[in-house]
Parts: sequence; structure tokens; C-alpha cells
Amino acid sequence: MKYKRKEAFAALIFILPSLIGIAVFYVVPYIICFVKSLFIGNTFVGLNNYLELFTNKTFLLALKNTGIFTVIAIPLLMLVSFLIALFLNSFKSISGFFRSSLLIPVVVPIASLVSVWQLLFDDYGAVNGLLNYLGFDTVGFFNSPFSMVMIIIIYVWKYCGFCVVLFTAGLAGVPQHLYESARLDGASSFKMVTKVTLPMITPTTFFVFLMEIIYSFKIFREVFAIFGDYPNENVYFLQNFINNNYYNLNYPRLSAASIVLSLFIVLLLLVFYLFERKNSFTQ
Amino acid sequence: MKKTKLIFKYILLILIVLVFLFPMVYMLAGSFMPQSQVTTMLDFTNEEYKNIELIPEKASGEQYYQVFFRRPEYLEKFWNSVVMTFPTVIGQTVVSALAAFAFAKLNFPFRDKLFFVYIILLILPLQVTLVPNYMVLENLNLLNNFLAVILPGTFSAFGICLLRQSIKYIPDSSIEAARIDGAGYFRIFTRIILPQIKGGLVTLVLLTFIDNWNIVEQPLIYFEDEGMYPLSVTLGDIGNSDFGIVFACGVMFMVVPLLIFAYGQKDIDSPFISTDK
Repeated sequence: MKYKRKEAFAALIFILPSLIGIAVFYVVPYIICFVKSLFIGNTFVGLNNYLELFTNKTFLLALKNTGIFTVIAIPLLMLVSFLIALFLNSFKSISGFFRSSLLIPVVVPIASLVSVWQLLFDDYGAVNGLLNYLGFDTVGFFNSPFSMVMIIIIYVWKYCGFCVVLFTAGLAGVPQHLYESARLDGASSFKMVTKVTLPMITPTTFFVFLMEIIYSFKIFREVFAIFGDYPNENVYFLQNFINNNYYNLNYPRLSAASIVLSLFIVLLLLVFYLFERKNSFTQ
Repeated sequence: MKKTKLIFKYILLILIVLVFLFPMVYMLAGSFMPQSQVTTMLDFTNEEYKNIELIPEKASGEQYYQVFFRRPEYLEKFWNSVVMTFPTVIGQTVVSALAAFAFAKLNFPFRDKLFFVYIILLILPLQVTLVPNYMVLENLNLLNNFLAVILPGTFSAFGICLLRQSIKYIPDSSIEAARIDGAGYFRIFTRIILPQIKGGLVTLVLLTFIDNWNIVEQPLIYFEDEGMYPLSVTLGDIGNSDFGIVFACGVMFMVVPLLIFAYGQKDIDSPFISTDK
């Protein structure tokens, strides 16, 4: 393919600011980080930092928790927001008020809501009050495996509306005649969703997935707001590990952890990308 | 029969909306409670189950009075948040719009490969880039400076990906027509592209704003002086020390993004609506 010189030059001018910034604040640091992860002090140690990392109990705990969170929360959020989007889509017309209200949780700052979560989830909070009234035992949301459940609930609550908006936009793009012909063929509503809707909105699903991954890493902010620097072992995430290692400035270990985390995400993305390609009907 | 079904659907709809709105309403109601009521509400040591109290015992501006006139440190933190957030949002919008135009509409060598690099950078979580960034900022002598937060935020790849999507929907023909009329690329950018991606720009401003307004990690690591921390960092702690004013502080903190949202919301989902594909 041939490029027009003038156009390519103009393009260069347009991306130059971003290119410089990205290079200085992302690419170069990354390279430094990778190099540092291979050294301790000034001696080259190869992959030793990585090997050491994988024998570090705290790191493994953080990795496990991050894995559990990703595997449960992302599909759950996907499912819930898709169902709500389908539900909203089933109305003939719907006031913008409802859509806006779904977006409110994304807009309201995390730190504003800490006390609300406390009132709801504390050992003597409203949720436990209700459970107790119904005859169940107290659930220790702040100091048991249920901490993870609480964080997942908050994550789904917070980003659900945003994903619903993305999904409704995708649903609006599905041509109506596909549904009609499916109905004429006698397809059940469940079949229509799985055979018509889902394949048609794959690009949207991919985008939602992307956003959910990005947001799943921001969950640290909730964890930090609710638990501080040292959450209990059930919600100790990789981000906690990285943050806490700043305090002892262990650069080699930090760098190795960063690289591992990056690879983890790129891998996740790659898997989904290949999956999407295989199943996409739009190409 | 059809009518009952519809009624059930509306009840469900209202329930869903309530779930999403409830915490905000709670904050708002709480902020008008007198401090004594809030203190008992948030005191979990007396081993009594809490009810959800939405009605203030008596409407009181006590908390707001404390925050605005008696406790200047919270306003200072609020101002830190403003100083860090606004330049980042403006910077990112400008840088992203320029680059997004090139990525969406101009042909140049390595375009798609370069964009792929951007996508990867977009996915990488903040915590990963924090470490490398720290090293660079140290070398640039920017630690303990608000720029340490502002500059990396400005160059985030997120805006480029988002705006590229909106610019793609603009038909090529309108750009070619302008080219034939002799318009330069910058003129095309300001006259044809920008007016048509208002929805994308508003969405970007809002999302970047929220993201930076909620910033937690960077200040903790880049600033030694706690006086430079934004309100988002301090509010997490306030529950332990000052819970008498926690609701008012929370409301003060959420008002700004809510206002931006209210102002821009009619434009917001247009970049996602892709019916003309």
C-alpha cells in the first residue's frame, strides 16, 4: 500500500503529542521496568526475581485472590448487565431517567460511599440485621471469605449500569427482521437470544469485556477505601501487593510483579480475542 | 393478562432503579442529619443491629457548617482534587482528539500496528504502570509535584480509543469534499470532525473526570506530603476519625461529577449507538 506523503506527515503531526507522552510515560518506563526485573542491584540474575516471586506466599495469595475475583466477577457482571439490557429492551419506549439512574453508581465517587457500605455490611449492619431477623447467622463481611462476596457485589453494582448502556446500544443495532424470521421459523425466546442476539452483538460484548477488565483492576480503590492498606487475606489483591511493596522500595520484586500482572492481562485478552474471532458472525 | 405482565415489569424496573439509586439517596439524607445522629448510626460498638435510617431526626446543616467553616483541611483536599483533575481532563481530551483523528481517518505507515500498541497500553492496569512511572518521574524530578499525576493521566491511551470509535462513524466523503475545496487537515479537524463528535468528547470528559477524581494510588506513592493528598484518599480514612461529617464530605465530593453528568448526559450515549453501521 502506498501512502501519500503529505497525509502521512499530517498524521505524524496529529499524533506527535500523544506519541511523545506515551513514549515517555508508558513505553520507556516499561522497558526500564523489564530490565530492572532481571537485576538485583547491579548483578544480572536472569529470571530469579520471577522465580522468587512465585515462592513468595503473599504474592501467591494476591494472585489467587485476583484470579478468583476475575473469574467470578467479570462473567457475573456480564450476565447481569446483559439480562438487564434485554429487560430494558423489552419495553416499547422507556424514559431516559431510567438509563441515567443506572449510570449514577459510576458517577458517584467511591470514597463518598464508604460509610454507606459500612452501614449495610458491618457485623451489625442492615444486611446482617435482616439475615438475623430471618433466622440466619451473622455474616462477617469485613473479616471472612464473605469480604470477597461484598467486593464482588459492589463491583457489579457499580459498573452494571455502564455495561447495560453499552449492551442496549448493541441491541439497538440488531436488525428487527432477523427476529421476525426467527419467530416465523418457530424459535423460542431463549433460542432467539442465543442464536440471534448473542452472535449479532459480539463486537459489543468484546468491548464490554474490555471495559470490565479495565474496571476490575480499579476495584482496588474500593478495597482501599473500605479496608485501607492491609485488607484481610480474602481480599488481598495484586494491587495491594504492589502498593505495599512501594513502602519497602523493593524495585526488583515490584518490577517482576508488574510484568507478571501485564502478561496475565494480555493473555486473558488474547484468549477472548481469539474466541471472539471464531464466533463472530459479522466478519 | 397483558396488563398484569406490564405492571410486574414496571415494578421490577422500579426495584432495579432503587437498587442503583439507593446509596446516593442515603448519602444525601445522611448529610442533613445532626452529627449526634450520624455518630450513633455509625457506632457499631454497642452491638445493636442498625436500621436503615433515611429520615434525619431534624434537618440540620450542622455537618456542612463544620466542613465549610470549621475544618479547612477538607476544603484544601477538595482543592487538591480540583488541581489534579481539571488539567488532566483538558489535556487528555485535546491530545486524544488530535491523535484519534489521525488513527481514524488518515493513512500512514504502521498505523494499525501502532494502534495495537495503544490498545495494549489501554488494557494494562494502573498498578502495572505505576512502578515504571515512578522510576521515570524520579529521573524527571517530578515526585512530590502535582505534575506527577497530571502528566501520565494526560497521555493515557483511553481517550484515543474512545474518540477513534466516534470519528470512524463520520463518512469519508465529507472529508474528501473538504479536501477538494482546499481545506487543510487542521481545518478539517476543527470544522468537520470536532463538531460531529460532541457525544464522544462529552463521554470522554466525564469518564476521565470520574477516573481522576477518584484517584487513589498515585498520590499515595508519588507524594510524601499528606497535605497534597486529594479528597479521594482522605475520605477513606475519615470514617475512623471524623464520622460526624462523613456524609457531608461525601456529598460535597460527589456533587462535581454529578453536575458534569447532568450537564452532559443527553450527549453521552450517542457514541455507543451504532445503528448506522
